[in-house]
Amino acid sequence: MNALVLLAAILFILMAVVGGKKGIKSFIAILINFVVVIGTVLMMNDPNANPIVLTLVACGIISAVSLFYINEINSKTKMAFLATILTTLALLFFIFIITEKSMIQGFSEEESDSLVTFSVYIGIDFIKVATSVIIMSTIGAIVDAAISITSPMQEIREQNPDISRKDLFMSGMRIGRDILGTSSNTLFFAFFGGYMGLIIWFKDLSYSMGEIVNSKVFSGEMITILTAGMGVALVIPIAASVTAYYLVRGTE
Amino acid sequence: MKKYLIYLLVLVSFVASIIFVNNNHELYDRTIVQVTDVTESDKSEVKDQNDNEDYMVTQQITARILNGADKGETMEIENQYSGSQSIHFRLKEGTEFFLANDGESVGTIKRDKYLLFVAWLFVLVLLWVGRKQGAWSVVSLAVNAVILSVALDIYIRNSDNSLLIICGISIILFTILSLIMASGWNEKTLTAIIATLIATFASLLIAYLALLVTDEQGLRYEEMSFLTRNPHLIFMGGLLIGSLGAVMDVAITMASSMFELFDKNNKIKISTLRQSGLEIGKDIMGTMTNILFFAYVSGTIPALLLYFMNAMPLGFTLSMNLSLELARALAGGIGIVITIPITLYISIFFIKRKQARQ
Repeated sequence: MNALVLLAAILFILMAVVGGKKGIKSFIAILINFVVVIGTVLMMNDPNANPIVLTLVACGIISAVSLFYINEINSKTKMAFLATILTTLALLFFIFIITEKSMIQGFSEEESDSLVTFSVYIGIDFIKVATSVIIMSTIGAIVDAAISITSPMQEIREQNPDISRKDLFMSGMRIGRDILGTSSNTLFFAFFGGYMGLIIWFKDLSYSMGEIVNSKVFSGEMITILTAGMGVALVIPIAASVTAYYLVRGTE
Repeated sequence: MKKYLIYLLVLVSFVASIIFVNNNHELYDRTIVQVTDVTESDKSEVKDQNDNEDYMVTQQITARILNGADKGETMEIENQYSGSQSIHFRLKEGTEFFLANDGESVGTIKRDKYLLFVAWLFVLVLLWVGRKQGAWSVVSLAVNAVILSVALDIYIRNSDNSLLIICGISIILFTILSLIMASGWNEKTLTAIIATLIATFASLLIAYLALLVTDEQGLRYEEMSFLTRNPHLIFMGGLLIGSLGAVMDVAITMASSMFELFDKNNKIKISTLRQSGLEIGKDIMGTMTNILFFAYVSGTIPALLLYFMNAMPLGFTLSMNLSLELARALAGGIGIVITIPITLYISIFFIKRKQARQ
């Protein structure tokens, strides 16, 4: 039996037992998101397509699936969706510029040894692809942070109908601060774990500090981690202000 | 007053370190040059064996040497890049790069200044949004990075089999330090620490058994072929650490809400508490698993594109590039889900004790 199939089956059973109907929905959402990512990559194969535009559309679908499919369409998921898209757009420009400047796109010398049999002249703009990769790696965390803020904010508004827009915003920021540390931790450990092999390899070859920080593979990885962390942080004020603005409408 | 002093300190270190990294050329042994002039010629179309169309451009570069004995002198070199820039770079005026060992071609771009800039931006955003908690997150991430680096140094000096023990010890340290830094020392944190450790090791056990039963069929370690060490062990170690952050996140979120419910109403019934905890767990399991999934899978996009454009079959491409990433994401997901009941029952255990004391 295939190891991945068994792991997926275990995950499905656990999600169904612990989460019931919602757990099954969560599992299906992961499957849908997987298909969306693979579909996006297949569309990027067309050299005339713009990977950044494709990524934006994919992020829209991914956040819609994670928010509306699992949690239904209501004002908190709508606000979370809006905050996710705004944060992604804001990050996009920054990531594109920093990728272009630092030239972290494509494959590194370290990786290209194993790619000798491949043609690398494939006509796809890898600067745009690198931008897409960074956005995709952080989208899960952005959606998670967004819903974690909009949901309790709505709860607070319902319990205190007279709350001012500013107070509601401040509550959102306080909730955000509580989740900021653990969310950035989640991302950091995921990357640490994924790139442990790489770090061991650098250490085995006794790369100097200078060689490590300037190498494409390490600096690319670090820039991805740090920008993903920024995404998680930036979605907090964005989600808090969008929700405060929307919920305290007309009363002021 | 103290607040402004801190702002000033941060600002000064920001400016000073940026100035430093833009002028640290003498610290490097390899020659660094800066492009002063670029002329492009010879744009030629290339078509590879799979009919992909790309183009190659030759650049004549005039560059100024920034360090070493020949500092200040100019030199001419040639650089080629393809339209996709998948391996080569399109050099621009102002770009700084290291010369390759032959002294005539482009080695690697000088990226330290960009890396430092992004790192600072990250720190500043975290401080701006998170204030004190943001500062603690930055400290906690730095401490974890140092622990990981030291742990791997110890591993490299010892035999292959030591990795899991070293990872195990690091995980205990990571968990205790990160959770205390995130939410202080109290019963809630203690609950999260115990739950995280149990859940992490339980999920490792499940993943290990699943791999053992299936004989690791479907997992392709070629991706880690560059390693001269046992890729299976390194994979398991990475899996353990990779899911740790997510497990900690779920544990502290669950524990916080459970203790919050108890604080709001000291006489809350255990069955109500269990029901509410389960609801919270259901809410977070989907999005948390998604975080891991995207963090792992998105990194493979460039390789997927390369395989597809080189006319590799879909199944082969996916299994070569995604099998380890998917295994990590699935194992992490398993960790996330089992953390929910584990944290639930440990919180209830502590809350019952508190209720009994009253």
